[in-house]
Amino acid sequence: MAHQAHSYHMVDPSPWPILGASAALLTTSGLTMWFHFHSPYLLIMGLTSTALVMLQWWRDVVRESTFQGHHTPTVQKGLRYGMVLFITSEAFFFLGFFWAFFHSSLAPTPELGGQWPPVGIKPLNPMEVPLLNTAILLASGVTVTWAHHSITEARRKQAIFALTLTVLLGFYFTALQAMEYYEAPFSIADGVYGSTFFVATGFHGLHVIIGSTFLSVCLLRLIKYHFTSNHHFGFEAAAWYWHFVDVVWLFLYIAIYWWGS
Amino acid sequence: VYLLFQALRQISQRTINTASRRQYVNRVSENQKLFQEDNGLPVHLKGGAKDSLLYRATTGLTVFGTMYALYYLLVSSMPKKPN
Repeated sequence: MAHQAHSYHMVDPSPWPILGASAALLTTSGLTMWFHFHSPYLLIMGLTSTALVMLQWWRDVVRESTFQGHHTPTVQKGLRYGMVLFITSEAFFFLGFFWAFFHSSLAPTPELGGQWPPVGIKPLNPMEVPLLNTAILLASGVTVTWAHHSITEARRKQAIFALTLTVLLGFYFTALQAMEYYEAPFSIADGVYGSTFFVATGFHGLHVIIGSTFLSVCLLRLIKYHFTSNHHFGFEAAAWYWHFVDVVWLFLYIAIYWWGS
Repeated sequence: VYLLFQALRQISQRTINTASRRQYVNRVSENQKLFQEDNGLPVHLKGGAKDSLLYRATTGLTVFGTMYALYYLLVSSMPKKPN
C-alpha cells in the first residue's frame, strides 16, 4: 500500500462537487420556473438535491477525519483558514444590506415623508421581543463557550448539557422571530422600510437556522464520541459561525430596531 | 393500582437505562475499522449498500432535473406561435 510523504489530504474522487453544481442549477432555474410560470417542481427538485449533496458531502468529511484520520494539523490549519475566509465573505454579504438600510434611512426621501421611520410605518418596539432575542443570543454565546471549555476539559456530560442549551436557545430565537414576523404591522411590500427590514432580518434568521443546524450536528457527533479534548475543529467552526450570527444580530438590533425606530 | 404503577415505573426506567446504554456506546473504533478497510472503495461508497442507494437516488434526481431544466429552457426560448 502506497504511503504519502506529505501531511496534506488527497481526497478520493467524489461526485458531490459536480452534483452540487447541478443542484445549484436546478435551484436557480427552479426559482425562475416558480416566479414566472407558477411551477414549483424544478425548485423542489433543486432544494432536495442540494440537501442530499450537503448531507453526503459532509458525511464524507466526517468519515475522512474521525474514521480515516486524514485531518493532520496541516489539514486542520487549512480548514481554519477556509472557515475564517467563508465567515468574512458572509460579513461582506450582510454589509451590503446594512449599506442599503443606511442609504435609505440617513436621507429619507420626500416620498417617505422626509422622515425615518417613513410616514405610516409603526416600527416594532425595540424594548419588547427584540430585546429578549438579544438576551437569548448573548446567552447562547455564553453556553457555546461553556460547551467548548467542557470539551477541552473532557467533561462529557457538561459539554452535552451546554451544547444542548445552546441549540435550544437558537430554536427559541427562531420561534420568537417567526411570531414577530407574523404579528408585525408592516410587511416586506411596505416601501423601502419593509424591504430593508425583512431582507436584512430575514437573511439573519436564515443564518440562525443554518447555525442551529450546524450546532445540532455537532451535538450529535459529541454524543457519538467523535470529538477529543484537543481535536474538535467541527465544533470550533460551528461556534465561530454562531458567534458571527450573534454579532450580526447586535448590529441589526442597534441599527434597524433601535436607531431606526 | 398504585403497586402496578410502581412496577411500570421500574420496568420503564430499566428499559430506558438499557436503551441509552446501547445508544451511547462508543462506536468510533468500529467505524474506524470499517472505513480503513483495504477494499479500494471511495469514501462516498465505503459505508455499504446504503451509500450506493443514496448516491444513485441523488444522481438520478439531479440528472433528471438537469434534463427537465434544459427542456424548459429550450421551450421558453422558443417564440409562441400565434393561432
